[in-house]
Amino acid sequence: METETQPTGEGTNIEGEAPVIESTVETDEASIVDEAELERTLGLSGGLAIGIGTMIGAGIFVFPGLAAGRAGPAAAASFAIGAVVALLVALPASELATAMPKSGGGYYYISRGLGALAGTVVGLSLWFGLVFATAFYLVGFGYYAVDTLTELGIVVGEEWVVPLALVVGAGFTVLNVTGTENAAKLQNGIVALLLSILGAFLLYGGLDAVGLVGDPSTPETFAPFGPFPVLTTAALVFTSYLGFAQVATVAGEMKRPGRNLPLAMIGSVLVVGVLYVLTVFVATSAFESARLETFGETAMVEVGRHYLGAAGAFAIVLGGLLATMSSANASILSTSRAIYAVSKDALVPRWASRINLRYGTPHVALGLAGGPILVLVATGQVELLAEIASFLHLVLYGLICVALIALRRDEPEWYDPDFRAPGYPVVPAVGAVASVGLIGFMRPASQLIGVAIMLVSAAWYRFYARDVKLKGAL
Amino acid sequence: MTHVLVPVRVLEGQSVSLGLMELLGTMDVTVLGYHVLPEQTPPDQARLQYEDRATEALEDIAEEFRQAGGAADYRLVFTADRAQTVDRVADEIDARAYVVTGATGTVDRLLVPLTGDVDADRILSFVADLVGGRDIGVTLFFAGEAEADGGRELLAEAAAVLRERGIDVRTDRRTDTGPFEGLIEAVAGHDAVVMGEKAPSLRSMLFGEEAERVAAESVGPVLVVRRAEPSTT
Repeated sequence: METETQPTGEGTNIEGEAPVIESTVETDEASIVDEAELERTLGLSGGLAIGIGTMIGAGIFVFPGLAAGRAGPAAAASFAIGAVVALLVALPASELATAMPKSGGGYYYISRGLGALAGTVVGLSLWFGLVFATAFYLVGFGYYAVDTLTELGIVVGEEWVVPLALVVGAGFTVLNVTGTENAAKLQNGIVALLLSILGAFLLYGGLDAVGLVGDPSTPETFAPFGPFPVLTTAALVFTSYLGFAQVATVAGEMKRPGRNLPLAMIGSVLVVGVLYVLTVFVATSAFESARLETFGETAMVEVGRHYLGAAGAFAIVLGGLLATMSSANASILSTSRAIYAVSKDALVPRWASRINLRYGTPHVALGLAGGPILVLVATGQVELLAEIASFLHLVLYGLICVALIALRRDEPEWYDPDFRAPGYPVVPAVGAVASVGLIGFMRPASQLIGVAIMLVSAAWYRFYARDVKLKGAL
Repeated sequence: MTHVLVPVRVLEGQSVSLGLMELLGTMDVTVLGYHVLPEQTPPDQARLQYEDRATEALEDIAEEFRQAGGAADYRLVFTADRAQTVDRVADEIDARAYVVTGATGTVDRLLVPLTGDVDADRILSFVADLVGGRDIGVTLFFAGEAEADGGRELLAEAAAVLRERGIDVRTDRRTDTGPFEGLIEAVAGHDAVVMGEKAPSLRSMLFGEEAERVAAESVGPVLVVRRAEPSTT
């Protein structure tokens, strides 16, 4: 073990490309690499908007019906379990992000903390994980689009869900390649609008549910199917929490990263966790779980109608459209950044992160995100897509916790985080166990596909980049 | 020497006219080469691909400045927010002014508007340093509708300050037009504008920064004297 000198990346892939490793001076306002400066332009609100905007689409607008059907009113507990696991990972991830405030996020910490093989598996799995998640958000969008048309009096069948999702998915990819001005400002606005719609809805629905206004509702057994479905449902709905790590993929662009990264990651988990639990509580108070399940992906629209009539239904439909679109778009952008991170380290060909001159956008990486997303959207399998996305992210999260433990046990000289996760080593250890544990409650099909993707990633490393070393290469 | 920042969109082939380089010969120039990226592109990704080309272009521009007689260095920034970058770098090098580049030949006469809420003393001392004993005339400009605006006294005092430094001064006071329109009319016969930085306002949010609009309308370069207090972003 060499600890005196700072080790650097070495080795080349089979095309002879070496990882690009340059020493970087980080300040609160810019990173200075070589002779150039990289301006940090994202503030705390921008970071929170990425985190909340990525997460909020799925948890509130797609899952309540599905989750209540599986676990009954205890679905609220499933969401709470998900929030706790996410928080246990968000703390270690925040520490690593402040120690290495670079674009690439979770992949970067694992490749530097655990080495190139783990890095490749995670980097490629993250790519596919994000692709699965985006496809899931888009299918959710399709359901809301059909419902919107229905609310407007144009009745179309569910066979329109997938075509509408495909159109929007392709549209986002093209928009991102041709350069969208002010996408971040739009995202901030959408998130603010969503939070106010939800706030008003939850306030009224919550008062009604506890019996202060409206008609008294009939209480239902909290966990009619016992505790096990609560855990499997937690595994399914964990997709609702995948956004916080996406904040880390823009760590290199965040102002005052030592302060803003932990606040954005932990803050967004807390905000959406509370919203999810309240939403499911309100939803299961409005209808019996079995009824909710029959409403499917857009059950929240009926919940809105139950409490606030047609206006409530319209507000939720509008919210669902915005939220699923914002989740999908944020994830497409994160996917492109994930591809850039592995390409810079020579784990995939360098051309994958080329930028085109005309629009200044990474068109190859965006295409590598958009193409597979459309293929997956075409399957239309909401629950399977969600579980595989969760699987691949949970592996990443487990390894983030392991990477933190590895780095803390034998702290290298360069390791100097601004934020130290409380409760070491218990928090990262429990975070790792809980992340991997949730995988155990998934359906066999999801587990098989997830493991297959990881094995292919490992095989790719052996074939393409086995000489590349990244451990400790900053 | 007084420090001046010259932002240049380096990868889009924006250049600095020879007349402007000569005008800034009395100044310590930092050329800020910047490239604005859309939000979907991480700045580092663009740097990997373009740094060499940008550095080469910046070295050429800095060398031209030195040949025109001044001192010059350069910085290269990849950013998603141009205004933030210009502010930050100007603060870091303590620049007294930044430049909106424009086409011009040899500069014989500067137009200096003193209308509105600007720090006249700061502008005048910058103008005096910029002229630096060269044969460059100055026209002081003020647009105000009533005598009560105090434009006449302001112009007289300002002219006296510059004449003391041996500068050929004219004054131009207009009462029949708005400050912006009057300034654009007055630009004829001048080669560059030196104006004070204004606090961000609703007007600047709607129509863009005043200096940018003056530069666009007048075609020539605009030198913007920064406010005394560090601008808060």
